[in-house]
Amino acid sequence: MSRKWNLEKMIWLLLIIVSLIAAILPIYIMFKYSVSDRSSWITGGKYPVPWWPFKPTFDMYRYYLSDTRFWSSGILSLNIALLTVAISMVVGAPAAYSLARYKFNGKAVLLFLILSVRLFPDISSVIPVATVFNMDFLYNLPLTLKVALAHSLLGLPYVIFIAQGVFETIPVDLEEQARIMGASRLYAFTRIILPVALPGLAAGAIYVFLLSWNEFVFSYFITATSSVNVLPLPVYLKSLLGSFSPNPVTIATLSLLVSMPVIAFTLFIQKYMIAGTTAGAVK
Amino acid sequence: MGQDPSLQYYIHMILQGTVLTVPLKGGGEMEADRGRGKIQKLWAETKKNGFLVWTLLPGFLYITAFFVIIAFFLLKLSLTEYRGGMVENSATIANYLKLVQSEEFRSAFLRTFIFVLFVTPLQLLTGLLAAILINRTFIGRGIVRGIFLLPLAIPTVVTTAVLLLMFSKGGHMTSLLMGEYNWFPGIVDYEIAFLSKEPLALGLSMLGKVWRDTPISMLILLAGLQSINNDQYEAARTMGSSSIQNFFFITLPLLIPAISSVLVLRSIEAWKEFIFPYILAPSYPVLGVLIEKYYVQLFDPGTAAAIGIMLIVVIMLGTVSLNWLLKKMQSFLVKV
Repeated sequence: MSRKWNLEKMIWLLLIIVSLIAAILPIYIMFKYSVSDRSSWITGGKYPVPWWPFKPTFDMYRYYLSDTRFWSSGILSLNIALLTVAISMVVGAPAAYSLARYKFNGKAVLLFLILSVRLFPDISSVIPVATVFNMDFLYNLPLTLKVALAHSLLGLPYVIFIAQGVFETIPVDLEEQARIMGASRLYAFTRIILPVALPGLAAGAIYVFLLSWNEFVFSYFITATSSVNVLPLPVYLKSLLGSFSPNPVTIATLSLLVSMPVIAFTLFIQKYMIAGTTAGAVK
Repeated sequence: MGQDPSLQYYIHMILQGTVLTVPLKGGGEMEADRGRGKIQKLWAETKKNGFLVWTLLPGFLYITAFFVIIAFFLLKLSLTEYRGGMVENSATIANYLKLVQSEEFRSAFLRTFIFVLFVTPLQLLTGLLAAILINRTFIGRGIVRGIFLLPLAIPTVVTTAVLLLMFSKGGHMTSLLMGEYNWFPGIVDYEIAFLSKEPLALGLSMLGKVWRDTPISMLILLAGLQSINNDQYEAARTMGSSSIQNFFFITLPLLIPAISSVLVLRSIEAWKEFIFPYILAPSYPVLGVLIEKYYVQLFDPGTAAAIGIMLIVVIMLGTVSLNWLLKKMQSFLVKV
């Protein structure tokens, strides 16, 4: 009996290790290339690319961290992401509160509308969005705002689902007592509920931040069809991939620099990421 | 909230000191004609639920406005013929006719279909495996789960970049398969060009897609697994069932709702996939890549929009038929 259990456990352990390697390997390769010296990637076919560079070097990091083009792209991406967070939180959090607390006609329709944003093919919706943003009367809108408006559309469903979950965990008694003592709904919401919900909402904000930071399709189509010098980071990275013979060290370093904030945040907001990805799928 | 909203409204009015205006308004309503009374009633209703309206309206308007713009312009563009970046004809279905007849569109459609056909079940399998692996208590479970989630967090462009590095000529994978590392046997004796052969390039983009999105299916299936009551396993175990029997006769049937939702959601995602085939198989476009080609490179928003609309139609048809198929299979598998 216990032997069989051991065998099962061994298989489980083996599979866990294999899965962990599968999940980490690309990240490891990325890191390895980013610290490679020249002879570790230009092999001339005499020896295979080593799994660890002969002489690890951080030169490329030093280069990028003093590169103005990288910094201006990074700051553009940061601004877009922050603006996206601001727009989708301001618009989404109150809606999520009402969805969590009230029953009303048309609630199902509203939830369906929110969910359909996520199912609608972004590659189709990006055509009219990019076209409208390039029309004469909108052309001079700052790029940051254009991209952030598009990203907010994608981020809203996540904010609403995550925040709705957060508000549902807060006992109703809290605001009922406030209202008995004479607070208006708005007052109860802003002064009593919001502060309690803040940690959960912050996780939602981080989720949307990452969504915007990683987003490629809208950023790419909007920047590709208008003349801009500074590109958001993912689009900048893609422009390097398209060049004739891309330097792996450059690509790997930039890739890692783009992913770094994401990897750090993900480990922090695991729990809420789960809420965001499974919302609407299991309920 | 259990309270009557109109009562709350009165309390609110009293607190605001504006209660006097209410009877006056009511009196006016009685004298007014019916149509106006209706509007006033609606207005009163809106005012009564002011908080609800004002919290929901911005989000509702935001999404609706985008939807209206997207639907209107997508349709308008698809009915406009462009030549050399200039409008040639409007209110014409020339774009659709051109597409239906073109070999390029047909092969792109076929590629997309194959992409969906492979990626969707593969993601179910990898997601199920990961979910089962993680669905027990062990030390470091949180960390393992965090690592399993990493593929989802990393920007898609970065994933494609790493795959490009790994599978390009002179990269790790070609050397590995040629047996240049002494711990791995050589399988082929020439350098495989992963990126310039259609099946391999498409397969690579499928691999990337599956790697990246496995965490999503894992999470949905994990939620499904955790909702299964442990008593059922205990009951089966007392009757002497093995863990393999447990899996096939308890876990799998009870997991069917989660599996269905994974298949439906993942197939929609696979239909609209853009970035992996775009970077890894640009010469063998799927529908999404074709949209980019026409919109960005050929300055032909008309054709791009027509493809976009056809993609939406295809997704709808695909989802409906997948749902139908799943229902059939469920009624075949689970007999109550």
